[in-house]
This record gives sequence, structure tokens and C-alpha cells, in this order.
Amino acid sequence: MKVKDLKHLYYFEKLLEEANNELVRQAKNEGGIALGYTCFHMPEVLLNIGKCFSVRLRAPQMGSMEIATYYMSNGSCEYCRALLERAMEGSYKFLDAMAGVDACEAMNRCMENMELLKINDPEKKNFFWTNVDVPYSDDEDCVRHLTEQLRRKILHPLHDKFGVDISESEIRKAVAEHNEVCRLITEIGEFRKIENPVSTGYEFHVLTLATYVCPKYLIIDKLRETLEELKSREPDKKKKFRVKVVMVGSEVDDPDLIKLIEDTGALVVADRFCYGSFPGRQQIVLNDSEDVLTQIVRKNLKETECPRHCALHKIKYRYDRAAQLFEEFHADGIIYEQMKFCTYWSYERTLASHVISEEYEIPTLSIDRPYRSGMSGQLRTRVQAFVESLEIKKIKARQGLKRQGEE
Amino acid sequence: MAYNAKTGKGLGRFYSANHRAFTHREWKGVADTLYDFGRWLKLYSFITVKLGVHPILMIKAMKRYRWMISYLTAANMIDRHTMGLRGKELRYTHEEFYPIMRYTIIKLRDIIVRDAHLRPKSKRAAKLRANTVMFDEMTPSIIMAGFPTVNWLDIGMFTIGEPGEVDQFANLYYIDVIERYGMPADVCPLPAAEAGVAVVNDYPIVGSCYITSSMPCDGSIGQTTFLVRYLKDKNIDVFQITPPQRFNEPEVQEYAVANLKKCIEFIENKMNVKWDWDAFWEGAKMYNETTKYIMNKWDINCTDYPQVCGAAQALHREYEFQEVACLDPYFVKNDRKVDKMMMKGYRQDVKNDANKPRYRAIVWACPAHYYTNFTYWAQHCWGVKTLVDMECMLSYHMFHIGDKEQAMIDMAKSYERMMMRSHTNGGYINSLDECWKMCEKFNADIVIMYDHVSCKNVGCLHGLYEDQAREHGVHLIWVPHDLMDTRTVSRKAMRDSFNNYMFNVFRAKPLDPTLVDYEDALTW
Repeated sequence: MKVKDLKHLYYFEKLLEEANNELVRQAKNEGGIALGYTCFHMPEVLLNIGKCFSVRLRAPQMGSMEIATYYMSNGSCEYCRALLERAMEGSYKFLDAMAGVDACEAMNRCMENMELLKINDPEKKNFFWTNVDVPYSDDEDCVRHLTEQLRRKILHPLHDKFGVDISESEIRKAVAEHNEVCRLITEIGEFRKIENPVSTGYEFHVLTLATYVCPKYLIIDKLRETLEELKSREPDKKKKFRVKVVMVGSEVDDPDLIKLIEDTGALVVADRFCYGSFPGRQQIVLNDSEDVLTQIVRKNLKETECPRHCALHKIKYRYDRAAQLFEEFHADGIIYEQMKFCTYWSYERTLASHVISEEYEIPTLSIDRPYRSGMSGQLRTRVQAFVESLEIKKIKARQGLKRQGEE
Repeated sequence: MAYNAKTGKGLGRFYSANHRAFTHREWKGVADTLYDFGRWLKLYSFITVKLGVHPILMIKAMKRYRWMISYLTAANMIDRHTMGLRGKELRYTHEEFYPIMRYTIIKLRDIIVRDAHLRPKSKRAAKLRANTVMFDEMTPSIIMAGFPTVNWLDIGMFTIGEPGEVDQFANLYYIDVIERYGMPADVCPLPAAEAGVAVVNDYPIVGSCYITSSMPCDGSIGQTTFLVRYLKDKNIDVFQITPPQRFNEPEVQEYAVANLKKCIEFIENKMNVKWDWDAFWEGAKMYNETTKYIMNKWDINCTDYPQVCGAAQALHREYEFQEVACLDPYFVKNDRKVDKMMMKGYRQDVKNDANKPRYRAIVWACPAHYYTNFTYWAQHCWGVKTLVDMECMLSYHMFHIGDKEQAMIDMAKSYERMMMRSHTNGGYINSLDECWKMCEKFNADIVIMYDHVSCKNVGCLHGLYEDQAREHGVHLIWVPHDLMDTRTVSRKAMRDSFNNYMFNVFRAKPLDPTLVDYEDALTW
């Protein structure tokens, strides 16, 4: 018997078809302030204070990127080019502000191109652009630095331009809502740890993505329902996957990529990539003794797994984290992926694919890919080969055990 | 001008498609040829004195390190830059290049005498290493002015940066190594080659700790992940300086200073020494003085009678700031001398209303390491004089001598505006807006726009440069290159792009037709 589709999956998929989706429009009609952002380094929760809601930018169903390529050259990150192309098409005119970060060159320049090419709605007189200086490490000096940046460049403009209440209590409220979404996503994600998971990586990615691009308060109910549904969902008796993998790498905002991988028989059980749930969907635990903003910033800097942090302890943290997810989710291998032309991940993927396979002894596939890769035959072939190699490993391991038993 | 219209002989005749060296030396007239030869003799005498006393170590070093062999072609590098020059311009160029070569020779000697790879059992080498801090390039090495008893060496510049400028083939092996290791070919070849050096264990191990940074670009940060790991395996502790990006904002300096103080503390602990303010002020004074001289050069080049131009000005300042940290008294002395020569030359030109450039240009974005004499080629072939190069327009922030707190801020501001970073970080205002500002200041209507095909940072502003150049009425001549990898875009291909613009847009005639089309793919 084929497992039933999730009740709201189609609804969530529809929400991912455009940036200005149904729920964004609804929130705007209710007086919400839409704040665009792109990167984990911009603490999402700060963009969800009071009437504000965050929209992590994507460029779904992107086709040609000719104009963006003229502006950003053909050797730059395709994700950033896709965003610029979409912005020039007018798809982000609904935004009330853009919260950028100086995290990587392409993202930073993408925002600057948008700003200079005036892609925002000129009618929105309070619209503001900002670029937050994100430090390259996570010590207390860095925490203080980023706290000051966020206060000056995000919180104060929100207050001054839109009258948003940026008090501690309002930030705590936003954290509470954020935590509820994180709790639901984490619980849903936990189902991927069981022997025969009741949801696919594709489904999980669709749900996670929806939480990044929609106003939180409008999707919480459907997430709750989905969680309940999964609790009683019966998986197929016969496993539909051949191996389990952890995906590690740069930005993946296209569920079709996960679908492509799963179609080859590799179930994606953990999503450690930008727009995934690791990191990004872990609850923020606050104490009462310290300023809330500082606590949020500290957590953000500690948990980032972006390769822009290259102090030894951060590099090790990333390797250990990948290995930890591999263990926790009972995976058979790790796929290290990178968006083509992403400099940080070019270095990280190259080195990590050696370290993880040679020192941690975890089978690793290393790939780079275009922004839209759901139809890539080349990629499919590489993942298929990896799946087969993992299966062979399993067979050999079983044979080895059997032989040992006979002896 | 070196071209003789009657005989048809020009500078192009010195190149041969089948030879690495020039076919023969240029005759520059009696006085200039003698001067040229004298400089050549001076350089080789210095090499003999400093490196000739370590013949075995030198042979070992050349057998051990590929990059070391490239230094053998150093004299050819100077010839490339002085070819076609006469009179005071020839002298400026020699004077600007010699301190770089001199410093390099001294530091190569320092490397070979303390390198753990070359002298694993030497107690003397170990003792020297114990008292040496290794630096990555793009680090505020001026910090070492406060540690006068400790030595320091920039291992990044000596293994990759400088060899690549001396010899166009120097970095190719290391680029291939890292690509074979799995690195995509689209990343900037400079940090990629540096990572390649780590993969094949070709860094000299000359110190007991290492200072790196997050500058100036994403590739540089990526490279650090390789270096940190490489040095960890050799039990060398690393400190990473992480300066702020948005350095135009005064608010970021508090963090920058805290970060620098941590670096000082790291060195104090590792080397068991204390920061010495008196010594630091002496270093800061040298920095201030050299900064004053480069600003003088810019001021003169803004006039109708520019003097110290092209790579002589650019490379001198880049090395003085980057590799030397403005801490070599010889550089300061030399700067004083060139300043005097320049002022004299300027007064002469004003008086005679002579030597006005045919075209006035500035160079923007990152130039090709393998073609540092491109600006001289543009000058000889088309009469396009390069008044300033973006890469040498690095920090010109002066230190406030005697004010300790302010000095830390000064140091932060100085390294935040380091090579490349000065324009590629901190927002488009430092790259785009600054370019048009400099065109106006230097009265230039041509921008030789280096299109480093792997540089995402400047590449991502490509269209905006095009749009705004049209608005400003500036000729933006894109010259593609791949920084360290001559196989992607050859020197000839770079010249062809420039030629096309000059022929088709300016409808110009070359000053030296023999330089329009020649083959130099094999030359160093």
C-alpha cells in the first residue's frame, strides 16, 4: 500500500511557488511589515517583532538569469544572481525593508545591486536597506560587535520608520513564537531518526522552507496538524529508499533537488544546509539575567555552520556536527554539496570531503550544482553511483559479519 | 620613445615565441645603458653577498621548493619593467624596484637559515624559529613594530604572492595541485594556490606561531581553513585577526581594537615578550613618513606632469606596506631619495612643459600577478600613462604618535584599508564611487579595468561599473585576466582586449606598432 500524501503538503508546496505568496499577502493586508533577508547570520527572530514578519528570499522556478549575469558576471553565485533577476522582475516590491548581511561577497553585492538598481517599491517611503557587519568569529567581542550592529541597523530603523515596539518584552514574544515553530519542525524532523521514517526528506524540506518564507503565525496551525498527522502515519511496509544520507552544504531552497536525490534511492534524513533545519530551527533558550538581544546574537554566532568562520575550533565544530548528524540520524553517508561559484563552500567542501571520509571514516559524496538542479541528469548519475557504492559497502559489511560468525 | 619609425624597430623585437628570456638587451643610449647595467650589477652583487654565503642551503631550498626557483628570474622582472624607459623615468623605476628586491633577498636568507624543512636538526635554526612569528599576507604586520626583539616573516607573500609576480609560471603547479584535490577551478587562484602549497607541504616552517586574518576576500578566508589545519599538524598555534567589514562606520572600531589587542596578547604569550611602545612609535614614524611620500606621488600625478607612474609606484607601495610593514629603514631612505628626484623632475617638466601623457589612466580592480608590467606596455604601445593603481591606494591613515589608545585605532584603520580590502570591502561606495572620485582627482578619462575572471567581489559589480562609466563619460577598458593563472587568459589576450578598444573606440594609432601583436607566452 502506498503511503498517503500529507494533508497540507500541496498547500505548503503552493506557498513556495512565489515570494509574495498567499500568506505574505494576507499578513500584508493585516498591516504586517514584510522584511526581506537571505542569510542565517541575520537573526530571523529579530525580523518577527510586533507587526514585522520575515521573508527569506528565494527565486522559485527561475529560468534565464541574463540580466543578473550582466550585472554580476557569469562567475558569481547563481543563487544571488537568481535573486537579483527576480528582484528586477519586480517580485520583491512587496517588501518594506531589506535586511542584508556582509556574510559573503556575492550576497552582499547582490543586495547592493538591488539597492542601486532601485528594485524596491518607490511608493514605500519608509523602505530601508541595511547591511549588517557580521564578525568572523564567535568570541564575546564579536557578540558585542554584532549586538551593536543589529541594534543600530535593524531595531532602531524598525522603531524609527515603522514605530515597531523593540522592547525586551516584544523581542521575547517573538522568541516564543519562533520557538514554537522550531519545536514543531524539530519534532517533525525527529521522525527521520526511526528505522523506516514516516516522512521523506522532500516533505520535510517543503515544511521547513515554508517556515522561512511565510509569516509564522499563519502557518503554525497547519504545522501542528501535520505533526499530529505524522504521529499516526503508517510508512510503506517495504522501504522505498536504499540508503540514508545527510545533506551538508550551502544554500538549498529548491525541494526538487532533494526530490532528485531521493528518486535515486537516497533518503535525506538530515538537512545541514542554508534553508535547512540545521542550524536555524533550534529553539532559543533565554535567561532572565542578560539582555535578550545579546543572548540571541551569542546563540547565532555559536551555532552558525557557515565556512566563513575558519578558526580551528569552528572548523572542528562543523566536522563534528556533520558526523553527529550522521550518527543521530543513522545515515549511511554524507553528501557535501555546494552552490556553484560559492567560494566559502568550495573550500569547505573540498577539504571536508577528504577529512570526513578519511578521518571520520564516513562515506562522502562531494558535488557542486547549479541553483536549479532538480532536472540535472549529471547530478542524478553521481548520486546513483554513490547510492550503489553505499549499498556495496553494506553488502560487504554483512558478508564480513557472516564470515566472522562462521569462523 | 623606444620605437624607431625609420628602422621599424620597436620593443616587440625583444620577445621571441620560443624563448623565456629576451632575445637581447635594449640599447638605451650610453648614459642610460650604463646606468641600467650598474643597477643590474648592484642587484647581483647584493644577491651574491647575502645568498652566496649559503650555497648549500640555497641548493637545498631550490630542490625542496618549486617557488624558490622562480626568484632566479628576478633580474628579468626588473628588465620587463624598465624596458623602453629613459632618463628620469628609468631611474624612478629602478629606485622603486630595488628596495623590494633587496628586502626579498634578505628575507629569503632568513627563510633558508631557519626553515625546519631544510634544517630539521639544526639547533641554531630551531633557536631562530623560536623567536620568529610567521604571518599570512594581508595581516597588520606593523604590529611587530611593538616587538623589536622578535623576528617575523610573511610566508604567504614569499611562497606565492611574489614568485607569481616574478615568474608567470610560478603558481601553476600549486593551482593544479589544489584543483586535483577537488577545488573548483572558478575560485580565485591566489588563495587556491596558497592552499595548494599547504597540500604539498611547500611552506617553509620558519617560526613558532602564525598570524592570519579574514582578509581581503572570501577566498582568503577559505584558504585559512587549509592553512590552519596544515599548521595544526605541525603544532604551530594560529591567531586569526578578524577585522570588521564595514570599516567606514566609526562604531566598528571598538571591536577592531579589541581584536588587535588580543593579537598582541597572543604574541606576548607565545613569544614571552612584552609590547614595547617606544619601539612601536619608531615603527609608526616610519609608516607615517612612507605614507607621506606615497601621497606626494599621488599629488604630483594629479597634475599635468605626472612622474612616478605605473607598476613602479604601485608595486613599491604594495610591497612596502604589505611585505615590509613600512618597517625597513632602507625603504624610508629610498623613499626620501625618490621624493627628491620626483620633485626635481616635476619642476623640470613644468618649466619645459614636457612629458605630458598622451592619455591619462588609472588602474582599477585587482591586476594580474603574472603581468605586472602591463601598464608599461600600455604606455609604450599606446601612450596610456597609468597615474595610480587601485591596489596601491591602500591605507593613508597616519598614526598619532604618542597617543596609545588612538594608536590602536590608527592601526585598526590602517589595516582595514589594506591592499584590495580598502576597495573591495565596506560596500560599493569604496569600489564604485571611489573609482569615479579618483578619475576626477587624477583627471583621468580612462580606467584600465582589470577583469579578474575569478574575482566574485568585483565581478558582482560588473554591470554597475558599465552603467556608471557611461554616466560619468569614462572609458572603461576591461582587461580580462586570471590573476595567477596565465593559462586562462594569456598576456597576449590581455593586450588584445586593450588593443581592440584603442583601435575601435579611440581610433588611435599605436606609438610602437611592434608591441601590438607579439608572442610572450613562454617568457618569465
